[in-house]
Amino acid sequence: MTSLQSSLRPVPRAAWWIINTSLAALVLYPFWVVLSQSIKSPAEAAAAPPTLFPGSFSWGNFAKLFTNENGGAGFIQQLGNSVLVSVGATLLTIVLSTLACYGFARLRFRGSNLLFFATLATFMIPFQAVITPLYLVLHQIGLTNNLLGLMLVYTTFNLPFGIFLMRNSFAALPSSIEEAALVDGCGVLRAMVRVLLPVAIPGVISTALFTFFASWNEFFAALILMTDQSKYTLPVALNVLSSGTFGTLDWGALQAGVAVTIVPCIGIYVLLQKYYVGGMLTGAMK
Amino acid sequence: MAHNTIVTARPGKSGRPSVPMRPLKRRRTLSTSRSRLGAMVVSPALILLTVFFFLPVVLMLWMSLNRWPLLGKISFIGLGNYSAAFQDQDFLRAAGFTLLYTLIMTPMLLVIGVALALLIRRPGKASRVFQSIYFLPVVVGFAAAGYLWLFMAQPNIGPMLDLLTRAGLASHSDNWFGTFATALGIVCAMVVWKVAGMQMLLLNSGLQSIPVELEEAARIDGATRTQVFRYIILPLLRPTLALLLVFSVAGSLLAFDQFYIMTSGGPANQTITAVYHIYRVSFQGFQLGYGAALSALLMIVLAIVSAVQMLILRNSDHN
Amino acid sequence: MKRTKLAAALALAASLALTATGCGAPSGSDSLQASSGGEPSGTITLWARDSQKGFMDILADAYNKSHKAQVQVTIVPSGNFVQKFGTASAGGSGPDVASIDLVYLPYFASTGVLQDITDEAAKLPYKDKLSPSHARLSTWEDKTYALPFTAEASVLFYNKELFQKAGLDPAKPPASFEEILNAAKKIRALGPDTYGFTMAGQCGGCNIFEFTPSVWASGGDVLSADGKTAKLDSPEVTKALTFYKQMHDAGVMPEAAKTDSGTAQPALVQAGKVGMVVLGAFFTQTLNTDKKIDYGIAPIPGETGGSASFAGGDNIAVTTGSKNKPAAWDFVKWATGDEAQTLLAKNSIVPVRTDLVKSVYASADPRNEIFSKALETGKTPYSVVENKLFNDNNGPWATMINEAVFGGDVQAAQQKAQQSAQQIIQTGP
Repeated sequence: MTSLQSSLRPVPRAAWWIINTSLAALVLYPFWVVLSQSIKSPAEAAAAPPTLFPGSFSWGNFAKLFTNENGGAGFIQQLGNSVLVSVGATLLTIVLSTLACYGFARLRFRGSNLLFFATLATFMIPFQAVITPLYLVLHQIGLTNNLLGLMLVYTTFNLPFGIFLMRNSFAALPSSIEEAALVDGCGVLRAMVRVLLPVAIPGVISTALFTFFASWNEFFAALILMTDQSKYTLPVALNVLSSGTFGTLDWGALQAGVAVTIVPCIGIYVLLQKYYVGGMLTGAMK
Repeated sequence: MAHNTIVTARPGKSGRPSVPMRPLKRRRTLSTSRSRLGAMVVSPALILLTVFFFLPVVLMLWMSLNRWPLLGKISFIGLGNYSAAFQDQDFLRAAGFTLLYTLIMTPMLLVIGVALALLIRRPGKASRVFQSIYFLPVVVGFAAAGYLWLFMAQPNIGPMLDLLTRAGLASHSDNWFGTFATALGIVCAMVVWKVAGMQMLLLNSGLQSIPVELEEAARIDGATRTQVFRYIILPLLRPTLALLLVFSVAGSLLAFDQFYIMTSGGPANQTITAVYHIYRVSFQGFQLGYGAALSALLMIVLAIVSAVQMLILRNSDHN
Repeated sequence: MKRTKLAAALALAASLALTATGCGAPSGSDSLQASSGGEPSGTITLWARDSQKGFMDILADAYNKSHKAQVQVTIVPSGNFVQKFGTASAGGSGPDVASIDLVYLPYFASTGVLQDITDEAAKLPYKDKLSPSHARLSTWEDKTYALPFTAEASVLFYNKELFQKAGLDPAKPPASFEEILNAAKKIRALGPDTYGFTMAGQCGGCNIFEFTPSVWASGGDVLSADGKTAKLDSPEVTKALTFYKQMHDAGVMPEAAKTDSGTAQPALVQAGKVGMVVLGAFFTQTLNTDKKIDYGIAPIPGETGGSASFAGGDNIAVTTGSKNKPAAWDFVKWATGDEAQTLLAKNSIVPVRTDLVKSVYASADPRNEIFSKALETGKTPYSVVENKLFNDNNGPWATMINEAVFGGDVQAAQQKAQQSAQQIIQTGP
């Protein structure tokens, strides 16, 4: 769908450019703020009123961010926690949802339909609504204040989406192809890996991206479930930075922290935009 | 809002996985082993969902019938927590505020989303670039976005306030977080910045499914642009709009991060949302039982929203 | 397969049901004495809030150098301390030793997460020479659960340079509401970026420390002595709130004060833009390191004179969940001993020992005299729901101050807060 009649354009060409350029500037402005603020020298970053452009380039805020040890749990460790939890939840979600999807779509068993619908029913209740008992469950099995616990929670709440997203590609595959593989002497699992997985790849990538972004950015559960500063993920680490030490808030370091939190997401989005956007449309519209 | 909205996607139309064609010569043992394998590959996901989702839901209902302090003795009090909820002024105010926020946010996002979608509906590389730019904030988390906008609007040091001051529209010492209207306004601006790109994208794909011939025919018949939009585009966009409506309603009802981070519930507790109140009750007041009762109430509201979503989508499927 | 799954789910449900009834802190061994009778050993963890970061590491280093047992310090943000310590204790992942803001002591003692140290504390040679307010807060139902650790007192800081510029006498700090207001107005007149006074308008913990002394010095209180009755609607509270409201209405406070959660206030003072502020002893350390402003310290006056101070600081306790209580107790004992308390004083922290404070602390700077005096006369509210009443930034206390000072109706704000505070007291922790 690329050819549209000029008559259908809501605004004339020049106005279109002006509006879009201004809107783009507006949308990009906050990114400029976080970037310029974090590369100012710490002194300049605290200036009131603020400078429009950084007077000089400095790693000072990042240096403060990464050397600001809070009882042995610095920002580097919290960055590591974020990577660990997000990557772990992503891998786990992919593996479990691919397996489950294959089971639901291809290896049906008694009650599988019912279970499939139960899985999808979890869409209806987001985890914010069950956080209190969820905390207690984790607490009882010793997984509060535990990165594995957080990883499993993120996995659980991204699984239904992954299953939902991939089931189309699995269901659409003609069973004859799979049978051919079976006849060729492949085991069922081998058949899955050889035949089904390639079909599912776009769904897998979309699921992975969603899970990664959701886990990387998640604030509420991490705030509640993690008690130890050495276990915090980045969004909660920002919360610590913003509460300051001795009541003094270091805005330069905080913006450097925001930059560190945002940059990986933007990088991944720019690289894999196609899958992310495509997956979102599949998930929402198909 | 972003990740919740995604998760609420529609399982309606083809929710049932297609039944694979069964080979005629299949022996019974193969079938048994296949279904056994099926149960096996499905079970890890189901175990996780059971432990971290279904069990908490059941536990929540049980907890809500007890006085359940984090530290100390648990005692059964029946529906006491629920009757307390309806007398809890703080909770009622939080529920009212959440409703207000939803009523403000939803139409605002829809209008801005539609406007952006129409704006980028033009062939060529430029509009794809603009589309990517508008979508960019969607991948930023609420926490990061919250701290960024908190800084931009800070009195004295905030760059956005500074720009507006230079333009003569504000003053450096203004405190936008100091009054209810401006505090809510700045949060709404942040959420629009962060979420509108996604609304735009979904609407854009809805627009693309509208046949161009239809619009052309209408134009030939002498319809104005406004009439085309009003009588052709809008009705055909209805399912997408309905979907977005449910997205932003559910997302707004669950708002927490943006208010916790940017306003801390202030000024004078006027921006505490339902989830924020539950957080305070459960994890600052340590009254887990009461928190569970409030969560159960929230769950009922969300289930109703989801049910409405199903209904709308089912109806639109028949069109 | 199905059966296994079901079994797993049942086992989990059963374990939940079993443990649900005893959802308290899991406790380790109860003895505070090393079983062998020798020197305690092993590693213990200690939690402290972020404002103690500066000296906790120094203290831990000193202990670790001279002891077989080793202590590891974890800093928790002040605002999250109660939540983090509470949830961690419930989950069994709490520390061995906790340095806790003294106002929270009654609550934590009542929930059973702190070790009863009544007998051991009574054996300390300096047991009668500890800050009385700290000692009172360490006690719950006649048992002792913590030892006083660090002291803190609220005072009025004023910028001598700004006083001079405004034609005020830097040697004669204001001693009544009216004098503060007049001085603030004169300083405000110095320039558009200079303010007479500032406060943290959205911070309950800051204001129980900074604002309550104005009530006390005027002869009133915010809570009855037994902690059972809220007194937020008392006339002395009205007077103090009205006084702050006058300052706000006169424009002597920056707009940012209304939403300050305590993070903006010190920076403004450090930058020399504020004439007067109420803060604590910890702030002298900041100002002394900075050397940017010439400051004076005065007692916080009441309506027409008098003075009062909030006796704050930390108590230090052994947790019931500790797996190494002998070492934990050894550290707690050491932290209140001569060596540690002297070390604290060297780092500008007020010691809790009334027998040491003059020699090791007050002698260092004449301005410190006022803090050591506050140690003996300072007040602290005692309540098992202190956090919900006062320190909670969305609680009745913080909300009342925000609404009264920056809003319109002082009395209406008081009525509302009083009702909600009394409700919290009745409901209990």
